[in-house]
Amino acid sequence: MPVRFRLMTMRAACVAGAAALVLTAAAACSSGGGSSPSASPSVQTSNSSIKAPPAKEGGSLTVLEGKGFSGDWPLGLDPATNTTGSADQDYYNAVYGQLFELGDNGKLIYDLATGYQFSNGNKTVTIDLRPGVKFSDGSPLTADVVAWNWTRDLESSCTCAAEWQVARTNPKVTTSAPAASVIKVLSPTEIQVNLTVPDGAFINQMFDSIPNWIISETSFNKMGEKAFAQLPVGAGPFIMVSDSYSNQIVMKKNPTYWQAPQGLPYLDNLTFKSVSGDEAAYEAMLAGEGQVYTDMSTPQLLTESEQHFDVLNQLGTSPYDLQLNTAVAPFNNVKAREAIYAMTNFQPILQNIFKNAYPVVEGFTGPGGICYEQKVPGYQGYDPTLAKQLVQESGLNKVTINLGTISSSPVASETTEALAQEWAAFGVKTTLHTYDLNALIQAFTANGGKSWQSMIQTAGAYDPAGGVGVGFRFDSTSPFSGVHDTTLDTILNNAAASSVLSTRCSYYDQAAEYIAKNYYGPFYFSFAPANVSVKGVAGPGLTTPLPAVSVTPAILWEDVYYNPSGS
Amino acid sequence: MALAQQVQLQRDPGARSDIARRVAGSPALQLVGRRLLTAIPVLLGVTFLTFVVMNLIPGNPAQLILGINATPGAIAKLDATLGLNHPFWDRYWLWLDGLLHGNLGISYSNQQSVNSDIAQFLPTTCWLLLYALVVSLFLGVVVAVLAARRPNGIVDRISLAISMLGLSVAPYALALVLIYVFSVRLGWFPTISNSLGNSPLTAIRALTLPAASIGFPLFAVYTRILRADIVEQMQREDYIVTAKAKGVPPWRVLVVHATRNSLFTLITLVALNLGTLIGAAAIIEPIFSLPGIGAELINAININDLPLVEGIVLVFALVTVAGNLLADLMYTVLDPRIRYGRAAS
Repeated sequence: MPVRFRLMTMRAACVAGAAALVLTAAAACSSGGGSSPSASPSVQTSNSSIKAPPAKEGGSLTVLEGKGFSGDWPLGLDPATNTTGSADQDYYNAVYGQLFELGDNGKLIYDLATGYQFSNGNKTVTIDLRPGVKFSDGSPLTADVVAWNWTRDLESSCTCAAEWQVARTNPKVTTSAPAASVIKVLSPTEIQVNLTVPDGAFINQMFDSIPNWIISETSFNKMGEKAFAQLPVGAGPFIMVSDSYSNQIVMKKNPTYWQAPQGLPYLDNLTFKSVSGDEAAYEAMLAGEGQVYTDMSTPQLLTESEQHFDVLNQLGTSPYDLQLNTAVAPFNNVKAREAIYAMTNFQPILQNIFKNAYPVVEGFTGPGGICYEQKVPGYQGYDPTLAKQLVQESGLNKVTINLGTISSSPVASETTEALAQEWAAFGVKTTLHTYDLNALIQAFTANGGKSWQSMIQTAGAYDPAGGVGVGFRFDSTSPFSGVHDTTLDTILNNAAASSVLSTRCSYYDQAAEYIAKNYYGPFYFSFAPANVSVKGVAGPGLTTPLPAVSVTPAILWEDVYYNPSGS
Repeated sequence: MALAQQVQLQRDPGARSDIARRVAGSPALQLVGRRLLTAIPVLLGVTFLTFVVMNLIPGNPAQLILGINATPGAIAKLDATLGLNHPFWDRYWLWLDGLLHGNLGISYSNQQSVNSDIAQFLPTTCWLLLYALVVSLFLGVVVAVLAARRPNGIVDRISLAISMLGLSVAPYALALVLIYVFSVRLGWFPTISNSLGNSPLTAIRALTLPAASIGFPLFAVYTRILRADIVEQMQREDYIVTAKAKGVPPWRVLVVHATRNSLFTLITLVALNLGTLIGAAAIIEPIFSLPGIGAELINAININDLPLVEGIVLVFALVTVAGNLLADLMYTVLDPRIRYGRAAS
């Protein structure tokens, strides 16, 4: 072996290898990159919009959706059979449009409907449909078609079914056909729904629920259920071009959309792609492979995203709640529950983990929803002196509390760890559990609902009477509630029944005070995931905040445009 | 076969049956037959264990499919539709019966045939693993030969450093680094590949980073193992001395003689690594949003989709069994002394 090679040492070889890596990295770092957008630190945490460029017609947009929620549609996009339900609202809104849309500041926008009236003590709702609207297959959207849709929705056995309280042909079977009196076609553009109980929240409950999305009966009958679910036909701003389940959807502009004469939708093409999560979406956007990512929730990545993209924090409507199971020890003891309130200080958690991005709340309403009440009279806040006393009196320091949450939410997981540390300062031991959805459901329902002690979940919706609202967590009939109090049930039912907003809000205020007085579970902050978009993208939900109906807002795709040049 | 012999065969039926006997008695074919027979209980065992484990996972697939708002009535109805209300053994026999008829059942989550699901997703994974395997093997052999040519030389030491890096880094961590460098900064490859596109070039672009994430650790292992084997052959075997003494050029001694005899360990390793490859695919595919069978397996496990999990696991088991059989057959190609069923002369 030549002398010069004999003198080569291991160290030199490693240096040579490292040098190769460094050269590559240097090339990467010095390169202009694929198409990394220029830095535009732009984040909104209040009810203010991001400055948008002038509207521009044409162009294409790629929207990234995270798997595990909106990025999955394993059964296709027929609202009556898609079990992932409103998680797929982005696709539904794009291809079907909506009867009623929720705009900024809670403004009701008429899309395929033009009005509604309550009557008969809020047990009858009459809806006016927009005349002249056609599906993209050319068939007309009439009251008969809407009636066919709603009948199908009410008969659906999936949990995405409409939850209207209506008379059934077989009262014992909740998915039996609705009675003949339930849905009435009054004219080609007028349809009426008759309920068995008053429901003043009926229109608010339409948002993000399947009766709001109307499919083409003609295409459904022609294509069959399975084929239709893959390439659905609606009257929305876009038409389906291709669909690879839970992977990618390609859409193009619908030339027969009712707002086409006004130049809507702006975009020519809209593509949705599933990505594995926040990290993958962030990198894809940096590489220019997507212009929008909905529902980013990882705090560290939100901070990173602020350096490159527009980050719009929506106004939350579903506060996080620490549910306490009043059916089992230790939380069947009111002093133990009060101790939890007094021991828990959400301010440092918000400050250190979430950078004060979300407002602290004391009830089940959020700043983006109706009847928002940040402070609740009689709410027991953090009080370490009282906490020490109550911990001793209730014996909380002698037991171990089981605290659980869903594993797919980093917000919830980090919060449980922080709470456990806070409680440890008072001598309270905690065992933490994170569950996937399946196991979470089991944890709630096992042993007649007596296997869990405390859970961190969201409670509330844009309208507390809708979606995963307050009843889901506090109604005595819900399997996911830790409260069994008929007085609270009555207050919540009264709130849902009235169609007068001030009356409803008064009842919700009463409910919040009642929950606080009985220490049924402290609330902490109203979280809403952020939508991230590259500079030049604009539209409701992307540069102007929208209220989240249940967890995330419904983006109005017909109003979204992409003007990268800004001119 | 010579023309005269062919003519003889055409005229002599006895000769044809003799050939048939020789084919049937072929050691290689007998090996294949024996392996296929022993594969049956292996595959049955794998699928049974999978069935047991999936049934032990807490939760009801119907509940999971229908979601948190599902009513007991809806769950019961879906239970009946999916056959979940049958006893364990009934469900397993039913699945086996379907398997014997080539039907892997219906996926709980998307209500599609498992056969069609696998047919849809398997090609992407096959291309990905083939790409990773072929490139890692090719580069591994080339680098190992170059390194073994001069042990402790500069090439050897550099290859050692690179191999150590490959052995130290986890595929998923490597994937993130590759994405950052080659996608985000350089823009050479996509970060996500929801489809392989319509052209070979698009597919190669889409698969390069995922294949590199899987293949780099493999390349590291193959290089070190093969290099060590070759060096041992070159330094200790008499036939190498003989070849050199006969004046065979050094490169020919290295490549044709030493390397060929060193491939046995490598082949065994490749066959044993097939399972690892498949596991790596399950981790790498979701990172790149590749619509492959690995990502589909993860989804299916999360949602307790038993038929889909069983179908995919069966495919994996078949691939592993086939890979091991292929490795055994390769031995006979590489070393004529090895003839299964006959003592070596």
